[in-house]
Amino acid sequence: MDKVIEVKDLSFGYTKEKILEHVNFDVERGDFAAVIGDNGVGKSTMVKLLLGVLKPTEGEVRIEGKPLVSISKTKVGYLPQNSGTRAASFPATCEEIVMSSLYKEIGFARFPKKAHKEKVLSALEEVGMQDKAKALIGELSGGQQQRVMLARVLAGDPAILILDEPTTGVDSESVDRLLHILHHLNIEKQVTILMVTHDIDKVGPYANRVLCLSEGACSEEALPHASIVHAHSHAHSHGRDGSTHIHCANCEHEHKHDPSTCAECCHCDEYHEHGHHHEHGHDHQHDHHDGEEKRG
Amino acid sequence: MPMIFQYTYMQRALLVGCLLAVLVACLGTVMVHKRLSLIGDALSHSSLAGVALGLLGGFNPIVGAMATCLVAAFAIEGIRKKLGNHSELAVAIVLSTGIGLAGVLSGFVKSSADFNSFLFGSIVAISSFEMYLVSILAVVVLVAFLMLYKELFYISFDEQAAGISGVPVGAVNAIFTILTSVTISIAARTVGALIISSLMVVPVAAAMSIARSYKTTVLWAVFVAVASTLGGLVLSFYQGLKPGGTIVLISVGFFLLFRGIRLIREHGAQVGQKEG
Repeated sequence: MDKVIEVKDLSFGYTKEKILEHVNFDVERGDFAAVIGDNGVGKSTMVKLLLGVLKPTEGEVRIEGKPLVSISKTKVGYLPQNSGTRAASFPATCEEIVMSSLYKEIGFARFPKKAHKEKVLSALEEVGMQDKAKALIGELSGGQQQRVMLARVLAGDPAILILDEPTTGVDSESVDRLLHILHHLNIEKQVTILMVTHDIDKVGPYANRVLCLSEGACSEEALPHASIVHAHSHAHSHGRDGSTHIHCANCEHEHKHDPSTCAECCHCDEYHEHGHHHEHGHDHQHDHHDGEEKRG
Repeated sequence: MPMIFQYTYMQRALLVGCLLAVLVACLGTVMVHKRLSLIGDALSHSSLAGVALGLLGGFNPIVGAMATCLVAAFAIEGIRKKLGNHSELAVAIVLSTGIGLAGVLSGFVKSSADFNSFLFGSIVAISSFEMYLVSILAVVVLVAFLMLYKELFYISFDEQAAGISGVPVGAVNAIFTILTSVTISIAARTVGALIISSLMVVPVAAAMSIARSYKTTVLWAVFVAVASTLGGLVLSFYQGLKPGGTIVLISVGFFLLFRGIRLIREHGAQVGQKEG
């Protein structure tokens, strides 16, 4: 088991009253974990604690096995809430914005080099925004702005991606596209994803775990009714049970216990194009449907 | 040689004016994008208190202005952190304190003409000392601005994300605060305390109307500030106008011109879209 985020007995309150109390959960390498919960329950506060922006009153956060001292020394990428909307009023090109995330690589009081510019274009290409590199971010649609902000995070090569409600204020089509990119990163690049979301209907099918934050506690036991549609395993990723486990979502085809059927689904086709093969078998975990509750 | 260049005081005025315009535009770009446009006002008004202290205490008023500017700048940062959601009040509190102190202290200054020269500046009466001071300052501020360009960009764009990425936000902000305070206190002597804050904001506002990136915003702001300064000095020389006020009014003219260009550009794009 390779725990990349460990939250142990975490408590926090802005005043004497605690918002989070004795929260415990782990996220493992390769997970796509969705964090859900009512408004005001402390989801964004928890993200700030995970990033070290706030200090817990009790408990600790460990990133890749080490106590969190400075998030800048880890391989965590962070996409804040409404980041695209906030960026819209800033007169900068997409290229300039993505370049800002390469701060650690470029170094203090130094100038970017050609390799950094290439990395920026590559990150923009990853989210399908390479044609807009020179465009002002304020001239893009909400969905495009959000993709540029994701590119900004990706340029830093994060191993863990923390996203705070990235689908808020974005149209349905753009949400689908954003989730597809994240899903691709999760499978293709083994990026561990922890996403706070209200949009569990959309995100659920992509997540292999759903954590519910409720009245100050975080648990996989307190899930809302039926969120995850289906999941299956890929041999290239290691799951919590020691077996191979990566979630596959939104396949258009009915999954049977036949690897070839899975290869027909959209993202798997894409996966094959990248030279991988599902020859290790797809022990599909069809934990679905018909209103049955599924815990990823 | 045109008559304007035949006078030493005008040569100094043009050199110092242009150097200050470049500095003020660079620092102003960061200030505006940090949503702190009014800090220039608070600092320049506070610098007046230092000027009065200098005149009363018998030491160089620019040194007094620098001291009060620095105290005011760090007070704004300190109060801003304490006030949370009402952090913009910090600027108003410091501005009020500065102007209040300046008002009270100026009552004790024997030569009101000396004090008043700091209100609207005396760019055409710059001493050799002031010229060298501004020249050295210009080199220091420009080098610091270029070296910290990407850090200042990132902090202006998203301070929290910059901190998470490892940018030493506190240190960079402190350096920026010191550079701004020193620039404002020196500029108060030449351009005038009541005018310097306008020169920090208006060229940037004009540049934002026309620029196609952050980098070109800085360059356009520098262009507007330098062109306004040169235009203002030349016009005031030949027409007998007050230089500080003329400089600011020309920069406002640039702002209106650039807004007009932007509107025409946007209208053209809309028509193009409809026809397309």
